Amino acid sequence: MTDLQEIWVYLSGSPLFSLVLTLVAYQLGLAAYEKTGKSPLANPVAIAILIVVGTLVAIDLPYEKYFEGAQFIHFLLGTATVSLAIPIAKGLSMLRGRVTALLLALTLGGTVSIVSAIGIGLLLDVPSALLLPMFAKSVTAPIAMGIVDGTGISPTLTAIYAVTTGILGAIMARYVLDGLRVRDWTVRGFAIGVAAHGIGTSRAFSVHPQAGAFSSLGMGIHGILGAVLLPPLLPWLTGWLKALA
Amino acid sequence: MIRGLVILLLFQSLGELVSKGLSLPIPGPVAGLVFLLLFILIRKKTDTDLEMVSQGLSQHLGLLFVPAAVGVVIFVPQLADHALAIGLALLVSVAIAIGVTAGVLHWSERSRRD
Repeated sequence: MTDLQEIWVYLSGSPLFSLVLTLVAYQLGLAAYEKTGKSPLANPVAIAILIVVGTLVAIDLPYEKYFEGAQFIHFLLGTATVSLAIPIAKGLSMLRGRVTALLLALTLGGTVSIVSAIGIGLLLDVPSALLLPMFAKSVTAPIAMGIVDGTGISPTLTAIYAVTTGILGAIMARYVLDGLRVRDWTVRGFAIGVAAHGIGTSRAFSVHPQAGAFSSLGMGIHGILGAVLLPPLLPWLTGWLKALA
Repeated sequence: MIRGLVILLLFQSLGELVSKGLSLPIPGPVAGLVFLLLFILIRKKTDTDLEMVSQGLSQHLGLLFVPAAVGVVIFVPQLADHALAIGLALLVSVAIAIGVTAGVLHWSERSRRD
């Protein structure tokens, strides 16, 4: 028994445990997604998060300890952000005369996403500390965390909102787009990428390659614009929101 | 695969260097993205190995979010009272964002075609 306990103490302290837990949870999520015929409701990321959270609670492993190991996966977010250059470069050659319409759609979509989230939060009396991370939630999580870095807004909460947004967007997209009778894969993909960034893009790729490409494009351009436009506006927006809430 | 990863990591490092060095408000990986984009556009072609790695990363982007999102466990006490309101705000806003983005694009391209 002590042997087993010693092995456990050793393993839970090494990055191996967190890495295996995260990857197995995601693999199970993917299996459930495939098994349900890629149902948007069986989102692999949501399932993986639930499994990991459930396991941490069950074995009483603190988040900080988990993250020590899982940070190797987390680190790749930055690398994945850089790699968005490839779909953007490819997408740019497919644009031909669509630039204005795409930028207009992106700007309006990105703006209503922030305004509606903050507006509903204010109406429902959400305190400003929990509301502020919503400003960056509709850009992809690694960029969102970079944007709020040093502004006093919680990067973890920003990431949680961004990921939740991505999951909800990936789940809802089909119903919203079918409701609007939008059938063009490029339009569908672009809208998912703008609103539901990385997780939406994963979903878009799994449905149609062209939707995936345009989703990456939407997510990438939204990320760049967000990273350039939000930081100078944030101090002003934060002051305004704190005065209001 | 290694070649693609090396290219990405080099541009990520370059992005971090420029972002931190010039204390730009833009996160390092975004600066790296812009540099790589310019590099590809100037060379007028991408590398097949780089493309393969990039595709692998973007298809499983969701996995990379798991460690940060699991951080929700430390916010449970704070979030509990407002979970419903926050969930509703996120749900409605993302649905509106998808609808507006798709609608504007759909409508503006259709009106131009007619």
